Amino acid sequence: MALLEVENLEIAVSTQRNLLPVVQGVSFTVDENETLGIVGESGCGKSLTSLAIMGLLGTSPVRITGGSIHFDGMNLLALSERERRAIMGNRMAMIFQEPMTSLNPVYRIGDQIVENLRQHQNLSHAAARDRSVELLSLVRIPDPSERIDSFPHQMSGGQRQRVMIAMALSCDPKLLIADEPTTALDVTVQKEVLDLMADLQSRMGTAIVLISHDLGVIAETCDKVAVMYRGKIAEAASTADLFAELLHPYTRGLLNSIPVVDRDVEWLEAIPGRVPTLEETLTGCAFQPRCELATELCACEAPQTTQFKPGHSVQCHFAGQDRS
Amino acid sequence: MNTLIFLRDAFAGRKLATAGFLWLCLIVVAAIIAPLVAPFDPLEIDPVGRLTEPGWPNLFGTDHFGRDTFSRAIYGARMTVIIGVGSVLVALFCGGLIGMISAYFTRLGHFLMRAVDVLMAFPALLMALVLITLLERSVVNTVLVIGIVYATTTARILFGMTLKLKGETFIDAAVCSGAGNSSILFRHILPNLLSPLLVQASFIFAFAQLQAAALDFLGLGLPPEVPSWGNMLSEERIYITRAPWLLIYPGMLIVVSVFSMNLVGDALRDSIDPRFKDDIAGV
Repeated sequence: MALLEVENLEIAVSTQRNLLPVVQGVSFTVDENETLGIVGESGCGKSLTSLAIMGLLGTSPVRITGGSIHFDGMNLLALSERERRAIMGNRMAMIFQEPMTSLNPVYRIGDQIVENLRQHQNLSHAAARDRSVELLSLVRIPDPSERIDSFPHQMSGGQRQRVMIAMALSCDPKLLIADEPTTALDVTVQKEVLDLMADLQSRMGTAIVLISHDLGVIAETCDKVAVMYRGKIAEAASTADLFAELLHPYTRGLLNSIPVVDRDVEWLEAIPGRVPTLEETLTGCAFQPRCELATELCACEAPQTTQFKPGHSVQCHFAGQDRS
Repeated sequence: MNTLIFLRDAFAGRKLATAGFLWLCLIVVAAIIAPLVAPFDPLEIDPVGRLTEPGWPNLFGTDHFGRDTFSRAIYGARMTVIIGVGSVLVALFCGGLIGMISAYFTRLGHFLMRAVDVLMAFPALLMALVLITLLERSVVNTVLVIGIVYATTTARILFGMTLKLKGETFIDAAVCSGAGNSSILFRHILPNLLSPLLVQASFIFAFAQLQAAALDFLGLGLPPEVPSWGNMLSEERIYITRAPWLLIYPGMLIVVSVFSMNLVGDALRDSIDPRFKDDIAGV
């Protein structure tokens, strides 16, 4: 059994009139020591999926309407508040997109790590503080014993993100969910943060779910990839398989729209159109209005998930076919 | 430490606000050491020396019972501080709790905040009058009534601020790290509200004085034997033509004190709201 198993996850936004599905039938598994990348454009449900795993959807109008999430054999959706709190920050932790606002501005960073440690582990204040210094040096904050008394506003974005990582790792979690951990950082810092996560994974065997819209980041760090489009997994495979053979036209579009430094192009190829809004009801494939392969079949009938090859699944009527 | 720096920045370059702050300090000191500095017992009646003019030894003159107005004014500072601090504590505690809980538990919040809206629909003085007629005249009741009146505005302000903070990522991060509701409310949200609370406190302190003086004047505030500035105005108002100093001194004290408190409040508010910072210089 895998460490994290998400099965047929359904998330919907309740409006005054009806329930609008935002995540539909999403399934994936993550094993120990494995990194799963989830890619997709803004608004395709990647962040919601991660929030659902962390139980952060709580009282908002966005609700889990179906499916199951199992972590280490436990059904996360059936846990009591107390049981959930014992796991959060302890055995599974999350790194957020905005390092600038993820730390409480009124507390010293050390106090925030210490608090998290003492919440979950039976440590004295002094021991927790020592451990915090250790964690800060682990994430390569210079002068950790000095910086532990810094306030968040005294640190740079990259440093704050590393503090967040230190906090997330404080209790040696088995699962780390990183929601666009590098999006707000500049490229050199991005690399450092990603290297750091990979390094820590190899040391501690943590499973990582990395959410990103950057295929480059995914290609470099992940063992397997799930491409999401409008709440569904369009294509899923191991990283090697996926990049060897791009089956879904959406994945191809994503890859084509990455600027390449050594290729001289006038116009960057972009996927035409935009992600359909939730109010637009679609009978066929959600990608069909933007797809160059679209036929009448695509407009009438939504494609089912098919195993194109072992370990490489795709939701497309014309998987692997080209324009011709 | 942060609060000290905040205070220093708030008053830097604001002469009038600093003067106001010093005046408030003077009042607090006077209130604490009133028995030492007051030349007479504020309750001591002297039938012979009624309505004497300001001079020596009665600096502010005497009232119609022959009591020394200067001593009564100093003891009045005591009431000012007690009313101010008491109302601020009641207002911030009740209002703060209601506001924060309403913002955090939205369903309960709908109900609570509508109740606050209803209370806010009444003018402050009217509400204070209604409440005080239900209770009897005493220092504690006056403090309670004024505190409750201003709890409504405090609740509104903290409701908004908590709602905003609740959406911040660091609160999500705290939830993610397994923090419970009370820990999030009081350990993660409340410390972020301290500066607005401080500002709110300074304004309530000022409004409470006016409110208390108004209640005293109407004969519904502090018991008549308690020397307070409002009571002095109320008791001596019939002597305004014969002995105007009996009203001028307490009246001036109320005006200057409330003005000072407002200046301090303005300085504090401006320093937490960057929009005000450089536009309005001076005060």
